[in-house]
Amino acid sequence: MPTYKAPLRDMRYVLYDVMGGDDLTSLPGYEDFSRDTLDAVLEEAAKICEEVLQPLNRSGDEEGCAYENGVVRTPKGFKQAYDTFRDGGWTSIACDPDYGGQGLPAAVNTLVEEMICSANLSFGMYPGLSHGAYVALHGYGSDALKKAYLPKLVDGTWSGTMCLTEPHCGTDLGQMRTKAVPQEDGSYRLSGTKIFISAGEHDLTENIVHLVLAKIPGGPKGIKGVSLFLAPKFLPDADGKPGERNGVRCGSIEHKMGIKASSTCVMNFDDAKGWLIGAPHKGMQAMFAMMNTERLAVGVQGLGLAEASYQGAAAYAKERLQGRALSGAKQPDKAADPLIVHPDIRRMLLTQRAYVEGCRALAIWAAKMLDVAKKHPDEAERVKAEDFIAITTPVIKAFLTDVGFEATNLGVQIFGGHGYIREHGMEQFVRDGRIAQIYEGANGIQALDLVGRKMPAHAGRYLRALFHPVADYIEANKSNAALADLIGPLGKAFGRLQQATLHVARVGMARPDEAGAAASDYLRLFGLTTLAYLWARMAEVSLPHADSDPFHKAKVLTARFYMERLLPQTGALLSAILAGGKTMMAFEEAAF
Amino acid sequence: MQINKVAVIGAGVMGAGIAAQVANAGVPVVLLDIVPAGADNRNAVAEGAVAKMLKTEPAPFMSKAAAKLVTTGNIEDHLDLLRDCDWIVEVVVEKLDVKQALYKKIDAHRKPEAIVSSNTSTIPLANLVEGMPQSFAEKFIITHFFNPPRYMRLLELVTSPLNSADTIKTVTDFCDYKLGKGVVVCKDRPGFIANRLGVYWLQSAVVLAFEHKLQIEEADAIIGKPLGIPKTGVFGLLDLIGLDLMPHINASMASALPREDAFHGMNQPLPLVERMIKEGYTGRKGKGGFYRLNREKGKLKEAIDLATGDYRAQARARVEAVDEAGKDLKKLLTHDSAPGRYAWDVVRKTLCYAAALVGDAADDIVSIDEAMRLGYAWKWGPFELLDKIGVDWFVEKLHAEGGLVPPILQAAAGKTFYRVENGKRQALTLNGDYVTLERPEGVLLLADIKLTQKPVLKNASASVWDIGDGVLCFEFTSMMNSLDADIVMLLNQTIQLVQKNHKALVIYNEGSNFTVGANLGLALFAANVAAWSEIEQLVGLGQFAYKALKYAPFPVVSAPSGMALGGGCEILLHSDAIQAHAESYIGLVEVGVGLIPGWGGCKEMLARWQAHKKTPKGPMPAVAQVFEYISTARVAKSAAEARDMLILRDGDGVTMNRNRLLFDAKAKALKLVENYQPPEKPVYRLPGPSGKLALKMAVDGFAKLGKATKHDIVVSEALANILTGGETEYFDELNEDKILELERQNFMKLVRNPDSLARIEHMLETGKPLRN
Repeated sequence: MPTYKAPLRDMRYVLYDVMGGDDLTSLPGYEDFSRDTLDAVLEEAAKICEEVLQPLNRSGDEEGCAYENGVVRTPKGFKQAYDTFRDGGWTSIACDPDYGGQGLPAAVNTLVEEMICSANLSFGMYPGLSHGAYVALHGYGSDALKKAYLPKLVDGTWSGTMCLTEPHCGTDLGQMRTKAVPQEDGSYRLSGTKIFISAGEHDLTENIVHLVLAKIPGGPKGIKGVSLFLAPKFLPDADGKPGERNGVRCGSIEHKMGIKASSTCVMNFDDAKGWLIGAPHKGMQAMFAMMNTERLAVGVQGLGLAEASYQGAAAYAKERLQGRALSGAKQPDKAADPLIVHPDIRRMLLTQRAYVEGCRALAIWAAKMLDVAKKHPDEAERVKAEDFIAITTPVIKAFLTDVGFEATNLGVQIFGGHGYIREHGMEQFVRDGRIAQIYEGANGIQALDLVGRKMPAHAGRYLRALFHPVADYIEANKSNAALADLIGPLGKAFGRLQQATLHVARVGMARPDEAGAAASDYLRLFGLTTLAYLWARMAEVSLPHADSDPFHKAKVLTARFYMERLLPQTGALLSAILAGGKTMMAFEEAAF
Repeated sequence: MQINKVAVIGAGVMGAGIAAQVANAGVPVVLLDIVPAGADNRNAVAEGAVAKMLKTEPAPFMSKAAAKLVTTGNIEDHLDLLRDCDWIVEVVVEKLDVKQALYKKIDAHRKPEAIVSSNTSTIPLANLVEGMPQSFAEKFIITHFFNPPRYMRLLELVTSPLNSADTIKTVTDFCDYKLGKGVVVCKDRPGFIANRLGVYWLQSAVVLAFEHKLQIEEADAIIGKPLGIPKTGVFGLLDLIGLDLMPHINASMASALPREDAFHGMNQPLPLVERMIKEGYTGRKGKGGFYRLNREKGKLKEAIDLATGDYRAQARARVEAVDEAGKDLKKLLTHDSAPGRYAWDVVRKTLCYAAALVGDAADDIVSIDEAMRLGYAWKWGPFELLDKIGVDWFVEKLHAEGGLVPPILQAAAGKTFYRVENGKRQALTLNGDYVTLERPEGVLLLADIKLTQKPVLKNASASVWDIGDGVLCFEFTSMMNSLDADIVMLLNQTIQLVQKNHKALVIYNEGSNFTVGANLGLALFAANVAAWSEIEQLVGLGQFAYKALKYAPFPVVSAPSGMALGGGCEILLHSDAIQAHAESYIGLVEVGVGLIPGWGGCKEMLARWQAHKKTPKGPMPAVAQVFEYISTARVAKSAAEARDMLILRDGDGVTMNRNRLLFDAKAKALKLVENYQPPEKPVYRLPGPSGKLALKMAVDGFAKLGKATKHDIVVSEALANILTGGETEYFDELNEDKILELERQNFMKLVRNPDSLARIEHMLETGKPLRN
């Protein structure tokens, strides 16, 4: 059984020492969130994740959800855990105080989300989806809808869903068939089938609020004719309590590779009563509004699972005695040396660790920018933060889930045969993490978003939000001898990223297929280089304390490991990008 | 015979404009009008017209000097002034009796060989000369200008059998060479060519928009860009012309055209338009037209709803038929929607009418196409449009609908209206044969050269053509002719090539603008990704290439037309000579996007002003003058103005007719080949820090007056750094490489400034400068 200890020290380090989290209190509305307050939140979050959620992770995976006659039962213990979670106020931490929320900064919420994902991703799906529905409704709903639904979503007595996918359309939502027919009272009647609906039906809350994309008959064709609706499982009665059963029912649940304790439902809408959120045919606008937070949250899933896997693998590598060190026995008094003496084991552990800690810094940077974009009094600062979010969101979603998956795979490898059996829980991380590369916009779509939409927007202005700080940092530190072994590789990788960016922008303008062919490699190059910058900065923070504090010493060494062993991938990626897509596209379809 | 002096009688908008264009050509002109009743100043009308033109934008005069060539007067006291005029143009009200009375007066005062013409747009020549002596009729023709006469290139010429060949040639040559017009010979038929077809087209497009229940934004989006028609479309154009003018034009067409003419079918009363005219909504000159700017609602753009007749917010013109069709005209014309049916209806009627004009308004299709291109700014004339659509497809569709097929369309069965045979353009005639199209003497076009040649050199952004007699022509081919690394690289290659095998180089192209300057999109993108070394490298490469151009061992002549801005202006400044189209708009406009000229523009302008004999002595005058031009992004609005700014020097030439530009530039280059010596390297003596301080104080003064913004101050300081020579003293002699280095340094400083990047982005996205 794996155990989990929330990496609170590292989290605080990233939040305060690297990202300057203390200045969050200078943003209007965040004045009260001093270090003490936030530390207390993190500690309490660690407690519930370690003690309540994590112990249910493997049992939930073994048992899965059960479906019978339209009713879904979550695994044993989930209902109780959810009650504890809700009573502790965890559904409301990142919500608007006007609706009963605690209004905590996104930067802190992101750390809490990471802990939840490490402890029990399946469980995290339920409040996670509710939060997505909350964001869309908060941003675009009418006052009446907000008043009726938001307090319940915030306090967690009701949960939410996002109903997008249909049997024949996932990525290409323009083909959607679910229709919404306007009624005389201003409401709509929804009919159609939605699939892959996480938390579509379950026994954790007294009501479920579905946010549904559908088309109003007679509207524009394709994606421009999609509207967003709210349709609850139970229609609220005069007192706002769950009343009449609405025409939305769960037809079945999916049998999946991972996140088995999360119910993934087929939802049938049969003349279900619903209300429009936002303007007719502007449903995608509301979707885009929540997309940045949601995609960051999915990236953090990859990060959280990688952290859990690393903790299990590091503990195992220290206690499992097997074979001797190549340079001679390290613990001759024992039957064998622990795994940790082997360079290849260290390679795997440090790969996990370097990705995890680097990705954490990136996630918190982005989350802090979400806070700045929302709260900063200066418009220029808000725009800069929005630009940063626009360009990094696809990178965070795809890169964090990709390297997260790789890291959990390494976790299995370190365990050997014991990783492959279910008992140790290492393979569950791999299975659970696999979906994060697919949902909320498959990673290939993220790459296209990056090169096709974000990169060319405003002649590359979004890129500036990242490229200029990195360029300035390299420029400012190029003669800093203490950082020379870090700035050198960073500068080289950044040069590759610049070259690739100019190349993709140029060839992509003339031949879109070329941009498409480069997209995934480019996104990874982008992610690796961004992490290199963050590692250099972390090393800079830690260097002065490296001799006195093993934590900081480990930081500096991990930074070096990252530069020496992981960053060189950027060279290969640049070669692949420059090689282009001609050969791929030369294949006749029939030859596949 | 040659025309050395001209008289224009009638100083309305057209008459005054014609007089201005004659003056623009450097030819003295007399402008007369009536004596206004009870006026103290008996010349008030003509004088007022000239005064007004000096304030009009776009300006009728190309320079202030041109205005001085106009002598004003009135037709009671000053008819004597006609005595030495070689050409007298009548531009008075469209009333036969008024005109004929005037002709009698003119005839009494003109010299016998003087040519007389009318600018009438509706009255047949035969009627005009009725009752006039034979000697007058022999010298009388119609010269029909388009408004505004300086900018519209069409001149319709109607002659009579009495005219001698010399009379016709004299006027044709003058209008072609001196006034820069495309002269199209028309038959003596109502409305001649352009307005005959143009009025029919406009009227049909309006009537059919009502019939198909379209909104005006949709109609303009359809009968606009997709068909190569200016984006004002139909309703936007009517707003420009004036709604109140249309009933008059229509009535005169209706009375002049035979009963069987298709125009009558379209000449229907439009109650909404009549109401608008009555209420003063006559277009841009009135309270508004089909479109208006509602100032009560904070400059809200509004459009008339054709169904209700009320103004409403202007909608973004998205028409599915247009979007889906893209460049496929057939798809647009067959789109199953109201816009698609409207497109077909308008195009069908217009093209059939155009076809019916062959043999009626003109003898050939070429005149009709030319008239519509030059007179209505259509990208393709009707027969070129038919070739694009496919004549057989068009005719088949006409047949299917049971419509009549005009003879020229029958003659075109299985053919195209234009073809290229043995490198010569040919056009179809009514009997189904082709006739070869010969360019007039002195016209040389790249478009023709391209029919028979492949480029000597070529990359993604430029091509080099062999234009004969050892001269190569460098052509920009990039998007909007913007300058980029590819152009700079090909320029270097071209310099090598000319040196080896040729005698001279001409830089010229046939785009609507010579170039609007460097590709800002690429520059901004590179700046956004902090690719500083790439940017600096490109600045350096450009400096190197332009310098190589300047000191190449062969002459280089640049021949701009339209805009030559920023890096485009800098190319001109590094050429041995400039042969500019009169309509050239030249300037160093970099500060508008928060930058400074970095490809030698500063050093060349300094050198020009330092060398100019009228520049006062001392360290500051030249520097201050150049600083003023560049810091205000001053653009010369004609070749004549560019000469005032010393962008053009003595020996540089101006060509009035766009089509003659390349021929003139080539001739100039060949002339320079004899005993060619590259220019001497200039030596600069600049004021240094004290001069910089003086410029800074001037800018601070402007800032205090609110005329300079925060970032203007930053950009001006960088410019002052360069122009005053950095840390130099007046006694030091600097070479041009030193100035280039300062240009580079200061350019790089500015391109890193977020306020400059904001300016570039704003310019790219809105087309307007950001005043931050």
